[in-house]
Amino acid sequence: MVGIALAVGESSARRQALRDPDVRLMLEVRDDSAAAFEELMLRYQGRALTVLEHLVGDRDQAEDLTQEVFLRVYRARKSYVPGAKFSTWLFTIVNNVASNALRTRIRRREVRLRSPDASSSGPIVMERAVQASSGQMPARQLDKAEMRDVVRLALASLNERQRMAVLLSKFEEMSYADIAESMQLSPQAVKSLLSRARVNLREVLEPYLEHGDRPASASWEPPLREDQHEDD
Amino acid sequence: MSHEQPEYDPLAEPGPLEEQLVAYLDGELDEQGIAQIEHLLATDPKVRETLLRLDRAWSLLDRLDRMRLDEQFTRTTVEMVTVAAEEDVRQWEQEVPRRRRRRWLVGGMGLLGATVAGFLMVAVLRPDPDESLLQDLPVLEDLDELRQIDDIKFLQLLYEEGLFAKDAADEA
Repeated sequence: MVGIALAVGESSARRQALRDPDVRLMLEVRDDSAAAFEELMLRYQGRALTVLEHLVGDRDQAEDLTQEVFLRVYRARKSYVPGAKFSTWLFTIVNNVASNALRTRIRRREVRLRSPDASSSGPIVMERAVQASSGQMPARQLDKAEMRDVVRLALASLNERQRMAVLLSKFEEMSYADIAESMQLSPQAVKSLLSRARVNLREVLEPYLEHGDRPASASWEPPLREDQHEDD
Repeated sequence: MSHEQPEYDPLAEPGPLEEQLVAYLDGELDEQGIAQIEHLLATDPKVRETLLRLDRAWSLLDRLDRMRLDEQFTRTTVEMVTVAAEEDVRQWEQEVPRRRRRRWLVGGMGLLGATVAGFLMVAVLRPDPDESLLQDLPVLEDLDELRQIDDIKFLQLLYEEGLFAKDAADEA
């Protein structure tokens, strides 16, 4: 009876997955349809890039990682089995690619450069970016740009897992269950992670909202640990 | 602006209430959870304030950029994937002869192993019909003389005396 129940459950999940138009597209990719692959890319490349860019903090690297994600999608096409929403599966790959990239970055001990002028490449000290932009933009636009920079810094102050969970929740509007599947955590762990993330965001942003106290510079990163278990 | 690192407290824990409030904002509570939170919100102004503060910080994330990519990026990626796919096929084609050789080797060794195992099994399980003849050989060689003795007990006595074993040793 249990076996039958499981089989019924599985076929119901499969039927549900097949209702997802992106799952159907991916099945066409599995059958080597280039047009379907291109369509999936057009639908998801921006979304993947958004998450990756906010995770790694570098547009060029995020573009490379986005390509890496779709290369993996293509390579995995023959073994693709629809069992969940396509977006959940895709963002599992995104999460994995981002984690690998960040781990490599830790190993290489990349140093963020403090650039004396706003035009140099790489992450720029926020205060200088704001100072540079203040001379060039009208006040209204400055507020928007400054606010955006402050929010980016607040997001960057979270650890990798919190950031990933926040991005999937905010930008992809994924449920806790889907985030859990993408990040290979339990739904309770995701609930805990998002709770901490929101509290941390609040703590970083409130001083700015209330007193104009900007968060620390872009050069600061919270101590990154590869195995941060306190979020589980 | 300070360039000091803000304090990072790995032990800072939001309480269970904050966890429930966040889940409430995310629409992840069941009916009972919703009812509990809404009761608290109705009766406790501090809880309302906490909820508002959490929500306000979250809403600010809407200021973040959503990235867009053009068709050029798509084309580049598709080209990259095509090149990678061609490389995969090339590697597979190089691998096929190697795999074929390996298959032949494994198959041949398997056949040899099966032959040896079969031989051993037959040797162990099937008794050699010649074995019993070999064991009786000393008797068969003296059969004519032994036939002349009618008494089996006498023959047993001779056997126990080792007469037949001595004869076999002499002949060797």
